[in-house]
Amino acid sequence: METMDGWVFIRLVHALRQVSLPISSQDILDAQTCLVRYPDIPCKQILKSLLIHRPQDAGIFETVWKIAVENRESTELKDSLDATLKDKEENRDSQGIGGQGAGRGSGGISLTAIGDILDHCHISKLIPFSRLEELASSGAEYEEVVKTVLADIDYYTWINSFDLAYQRGTLSEDEWYTHQNNRAFILREIQQQVLMSQVTLENSWKPLVRQHWLFKPLSSLSEEEKELVRTSIRKWARKLALRPGSRWKSYNKGTIDIGKIVQQSVQWEGGLFHLCYRRRIPRAPELVVLCDVSNSMASFVEFLIHLVTCLRARFRKIRVFFFIDSVWDVSEFVWDDDLSGVKQEIKSWGHKASSGFSDYGAVFKELAENILREVSSRAILIVLGDGKNNYRPAQPEYFARISEKVRKVFWLNPLEEMEWSEPDNVMKVYQNNCSKVYRCRTASDLQRIVKDVF
Amino acid sequence: MKTSPLDLAHELKKEGYLIGQEAATTLFLALALEKPCLIEGPAGVGKTQLALALARAEKRRLIRLQCYEGLDISKALYDWNYAKQLLRLQLAKTEDWDEIKFDLYSEEFLLSRPLLEAILSPEPVLLLIDELDKSDEEFESFLLELLAEQQVSIPELGTLTSKTKPIVILTSNNSRDFSDALRRRCIHIYLTYPSLEREISILSSHAPELSRGLTKDVCEFVAKIRKLPLQKLPSVSETIDFARALDALQKVELNYGDLMGTLSVLLKYPKDVAKLEERLKKWETEALRSRE
Repeated sequence: METMDGWVFIRLVHALRQVSLPISSQDILDAQTCLVRYPDIPCKQILKSLLIHRPQDAGIFETVWKIAVENRESTELKDSLDATLKDKEENRDSQGIGGQGAGRGSGGISLTAIGDILDHCHISKLIPFSRLEELASSGAEYEEVVKTVLADIDYYTWINSFDLAYQRGTLSEDEWYTHQNNRAFILREIQQQVLMSQVTLENSWKPLVRQHWLFKPLSSLSEEEKELVRTSIRKWARKLALRPGSRWKSYNKGTIDIGKIVQQSVQWEGGLFHLCYRRRIPRAPELVVLCDVSNSMASFVEFLIHLVTCLRARFRKIRVFFFIDSVWDVSEFVWDDDLSGVKQEIKSWGHKASSGFSDYGAVFKELAENILREVSSRAILIVLGDGKNNYRPAQPEYFARISEKVRKVFWLNPLEEMEWSEPDNVMKVYQNNCSKVYRCRTASDLQRIVKDVF
Repeated sequence: MKTSPLDLAHELKKEGYLIGQEAATTLFLALALEKPCLIEGPAGVGKTQLALALARAEKRRLIRLQCYEGLDISKALYDWNYAKQLLRLQLAKTEDWDEIKFDLYSEEFLLSRPLLEAILSPEPVLLLIDELDKSDEEFESFLLELLAEQQVSIPELGTLTSKTKPIVILTSNNSRDFSDALRRRCIHIYLTYPSLEREISILSSHAPELSRGLTKDVCEFVAKIRKLPLQKLPSVSETIDFARALDALQKVELNYGDLMGTLSVLLKYPKDVAKLEERLKKWETEALRSRE
């Protein structure tokens, strides 16, 4: 069994730390001990076992391992370029499974020619390394580069042909699942290849950090990453649900329950008794959530509603409203664990006739005039919106009225702070009437908000 | 002491637990480094069973602490035997107070709960802290000393250190996140649903009375179900129950057409059962078409 080069080990640990994996000195010591003591166990397995402390970090470990340890193979990849280009010529004008897919992209082998029989070991040969280098150095964003590479290998035609075949019933469910797995594999491979080329080109781990699911914009997460965020939200919420309310914090067992002591004392014939404490209950004010569900905001709303759903036990009353240019009540969805109803409601804009352009002024006016009287003065209001008002009047007086009535107003904005002062953005107008405005763009932002607000 | 992950996997197999290569390596390293092992994964993948099998394989007594919301030190670590203390006081009315005062807080009046029992045990034990995610954060913080130093502190007695270094296994269903401090002290295993081949082996070893055809059919069927977007996916134990249920109904192979009424053994939510019933019709048509 090959031993691990010390320099490669240091490079790996450094890279993992850069991408937010908590690796302690003790972990390093343990890893070194095991690498020396058990030379028959593969290094990767030892390091994965000892350096990964959370299941969600396994994916990023694989990527870093490929870049930091297996990157030596990139030379082989370059060598394969000639062979790839040669193969590419042979695949011209092929046709895919759904009767589609004629022709191919400009960069490498066409997936439509391969069908669903993929050689997973040589998938990297699909993309010529020089093409990756060229795209990475063009200054395009990561997502753009991935899309271009996918188009180059006819990925979109390929998946469409399978979608079509499945819809027509010519593809069985088993074949469909196999295809789904292949699809996910290719996507992951290409994302890794692009990341590798960006890391090499920038000579830094920053491209990797930017693609960590915690720091990626919520709107650009893959299905797998979305599930990671949802799982994390559930965990954060559960942690909060176990946190006692401030009223009982003076003594960690709560206050003495005289009634229960007497009751138990009688059971013991007045002889012996235990002190009984009242159960701590979480602080439970009312929560009002107001979400902009226009197209640009939809993906962010889904995660906030998921958070609110997980946190419902902490509040006595929760009201959720969606809006674009008018408001509607969707509180019923928060009581259902299945979020498909919410997704449908966001997608369909509640089946309301709407221009599709947000009008914050009109929405706050409607809220202040029709709904505010039903809201308690102890309520916390959370607004999720980008503040883009499409040059409509901001009518800040209504938002001020709302802000005066409720205990706290938190605004969560998915845009970067510098975008808040763009001409059609009214964030700066409303900001003074908010208890705090948070940037809520990534899972990491959401995590901070969970800690601060709830 | 096991000499390799393969050796450990072999020992566990003898005890009726089939472990994957990666999990076996991680568990082996945790044992080699004498570190606690945190096993996470969805319900029913065999986390607790792994701890039980390990205890048998290592020939250690199992001490189990089941966690729940509100679990505190008096139920997990120790409590004073107040009744016995009072009796001692009544019997010793004439004795010197200073002597009794010291005596009242001796080990004789200590009620050992699972954690203390594991620390004080003269023979090697395996301590299973089950479903830690159900306990409070305070309890999690309290565990840090035990996990790192294998010792506990009792104010009246001082620090008690373990004599025989128990193997510590913690399990979690992932319902809440743990602190970095706790994770850092543990070696982490994530168990997921077994592969088709492994599930066939598990089913064959747990229900040898089943025909090979039925075992294979059931495992393939369950693997297919696990790809559906259901609220709760079937666990390994539910696969075993389902296969036994079909066997009780004298089935020798699995036909999509006559599964109605048996699906509730596999799925626990009516919504999921309804979803699967709908899918079964499609699968049945596909199966018929492929036979033709």
